Amino acid sequence: MAESSTTVIGVYDSPDALIQSIGVLRSKQLGQLEAYSPYPIHGIDEALGHRRSPIGAMVMVMGIVGALTALGAEYWISAIDYPLVTGGKAPTSWEAFVPIMFEVTVLFATFTAGLGMLFLMNRLPFFGHPVLNSKSIAKITRDKYAIAIESAADSKEELDEQVAEAALRDAGATTIEIVREPKPSPFLTSTFVLRALGGIAVSCLVSGVLMYWVIKLFPVLPPMSHMLVQPRVDPQQSSSFFGDGRSMRMPVPGTVARGFMPSFVASQEQAASLVNPLARTREVLEVGKQKFTERCAVCHGALATGIGSLTAAYGGKPANLQAQQFRDYPDGKIYWVIVNGKNAMPSQAADLTVDQRWSIVHYIRALQRAQHAMDRDVQ
Amino acid sequence: MTDSTSKQPPLLVLGMSLGAVGVVLSYRLVDHERFWANWVYWFVLLFTIAIGNLFIVALQHLVSARWSIPIRRVPERLATLLLPVAPIGLLGLLAAHVLYPGTRPEAAHNKILAGKAVWLSLPWFSVRTAVVLAVSLGSLWLLVRGSIRQDQTKDPQFSARAKRFAPGFMILFAFSITAVAFDWIAGLVPEWYSDIFGVYLFAGGFLAALSSTVLALLFLKQQQRLTEVRNDHLYSLGTFIFAFTVFWSYIAFAQYMLMWYANLPDEVNWYHDRLAGGWHAVTVALAIIHFVVPFFALSTRDSKSRESTLRRVAIIMLCAHMLDVYWLIFPSISHRPLFSWPEVSFALLFISGSVLWVRRTLAWGQDLPVGDPFLREGLEFHL
Repeated sequence: MAESSTTVIGVYDSPDALIQSIGVLRSKQLGQLEAYSPYPIHGIDEALGHRRSPIGAMVMVMGIVGALTALGAEYWISAIDYPLVTGGKAPTSWEAFVPIMFEVTVLFATFTAGLGMLFLMNRLPFFGHPVLNSKSIAKITRDKYAIAIESAADSKEELDEQVAEAALRDAGATTIEIVREPKPSPFLTSTFVLRALGGIAVSCLVSGVLMYWVIKLFPVLPPMSHMLVQPRVDPQQSSSFFGDGRSMRMPVPGTVARGFMPSFVASQEQAASLVNPLARTREVLEVGKQKFTERCAVCHGALATGIGSLTAAYGGKPANLQAQQFRDYPDGKIYWVIVNGKNAMPSQAADLTVDQRWSIVHYIRALQRAQHAMDRDVQ
Repeated sequence: MTDSTSKQPPLLVLGMSLGAVGVVLSYRLVDHERFWANWVYWFVLLFTIAIGNLFIVALQHLVSARWSIPIRRVPERLATLLLPVAPIGLLGLLAAHVLYPGTRPEAAHNKILAGKAVWLSLPWFSVRTAVVLAVSLGSLWLLVRGSIRQDQTKDPQFSARAKRFAPGFMILFAFSITAVAFDWIAGLVPEWYSDIFGVYLFAGGFLAALSSTVLALLFLKQQQRLTEVRNDHLYSLGTFIFAFTVFWSYIAFAQYMLMWYANLPDEVNWYHDRLAGGWHAVTVALAIIHFVVPFFALSTRDSKSRESTLRRVAIIMLCAHMLDVYWLIFPSISHRPLFSWPEVSFALLFISGSVLWVRRTLAWGQDLPVGDPFLREGLEFHL
């Protein structure tokens, strides 16, 4: 092994001259040829005898893989794992999948192209080359084109400078430069540095995992849970404070929640005699409208005609409160139905206070009146 | 050279005469809506191809492209299709009351159309069409006639003038193609509305124009003319076609997906017509031949400059544009795809007529724009 390596660089003025002389130089088999140019030149791969870059095919394959990955992920998420109708669209709407398939295709394809270029074509990691230290490099990166001849990587023979120089001159190079550089240190090779970096990464990972388990197994330092640990009883938790283990006391028997005084009327007929305790004020009607809309309108409809938004879906027949029968009902009978439910209708007592129930009764009366207005109402 | 182009091939003349007979018959025999839909179809189709070619020419002037100078005469000659297309368009105005609800007096009483009834009315429709055709012919006169005259005069001033005019043409072109898209296609269902519709028609038209240029170029090369055009030029044209198949698909899908998501009745009905009955198959076929086939056919590097692939793709893209415009126009008048002797007659007449016209124009000017001061750079073009 020699102490230094020699690179002979020939500089050309035009890409045509470069490509032509590559052909001439290759036939002389001087050593390893490499071309340098400020921009990509079509046809230079063929001239240097490089095989067709595999990146195009890789990009195509990875693009298709990306599209299928996105399609599979989206289909699994939105049609199998958690089917959810959004905006009235079926869970398997392919239209909604396309933008994400497109994005992921582009992501996979560009990453393949970018990383493939860096690692396969540019042979990263790459810590320097004699050509980068030459005088010609300033011109090569601006407006000149160059061929560098080195001894082939697998040959023991030294490059013959004179022969290479003459060959380049014959092939039309305008300037010729010979760069002698000491052989790169056997210690600081790219392989070594890569291994060192890999070692650092692996040791970081190992120590991180170890630290996690140390904290987990030896709870001397509880990891970041201080906000969760508080002297407070959460719902459904037991407590040792009381003898029975409950965290709260049961209410005294006979306790009634405010606003939920139970009704002791036995039948709907008896309820007919109940009188609406609320005055027919704007506030009461507003409450009645709000609660009617929340609790009643989905089945009975906004106008209490018995046609609500859920009616068609469930095939039920809610009462048409505009019918003569219900217009003749006394207030108390409507109140009784709200409390006890009727036919398919469940009791609403748990969700409406006494006042809210009576407000709804007022509001139903207003709806009935509005649908059956009399002439004198408009005078 | 002159023999092969000045002599009119009897097959084309025969096809044109047969087509003309069929067209006259169909005017008497089929309903007028169908006759005029065919007429408008061929006007829109030929107009988009012709003005697309003029756009190619103007684009090269606009960006001072050098690589395309050797092939510039081809789109210039194809753009002269605007000359026969202009009277076709003016005659198409006779279809207004039959096809375009916006031109009928009832439009003023339609709640959705009342606001734009004046804009859609026949007088304004005619004015817009006349202005669009006048602008196109004027641009043709400036860009193409000037270029052909430059062969003789070798006047470099023309190149400078064309470059100054090109930006203005781009603006006029954008308005023209949008006006044609809105008036002649969207006007069939004036309740429907899409902002991007002009861009959609442009994408398809430009693609068809590129394909016609490639076809005519390969035809000339086959006749040992334009031998100066090398693979580097073909590769650039192939890349252009490849890029614009993706652009067309992007615009087409974006337009569809927004309307599909919003699901507004006056927008989505247009697509509903095109996805119901026999039209569903046409829509799927359109997606396949307008995107899938050319995309994969032109994916590899070599295919973009291989003459046999390019010729096949160009023919497919012209068919795709024909199907595209068919898909835009006919579902608005019929719930099932119409294809029978009237359509065949129209196709015979207009395709043979266009090919005859283009064959005539192949004799106009030199094959290379020899007067262009930058021609040398174009001939030396390397990728």
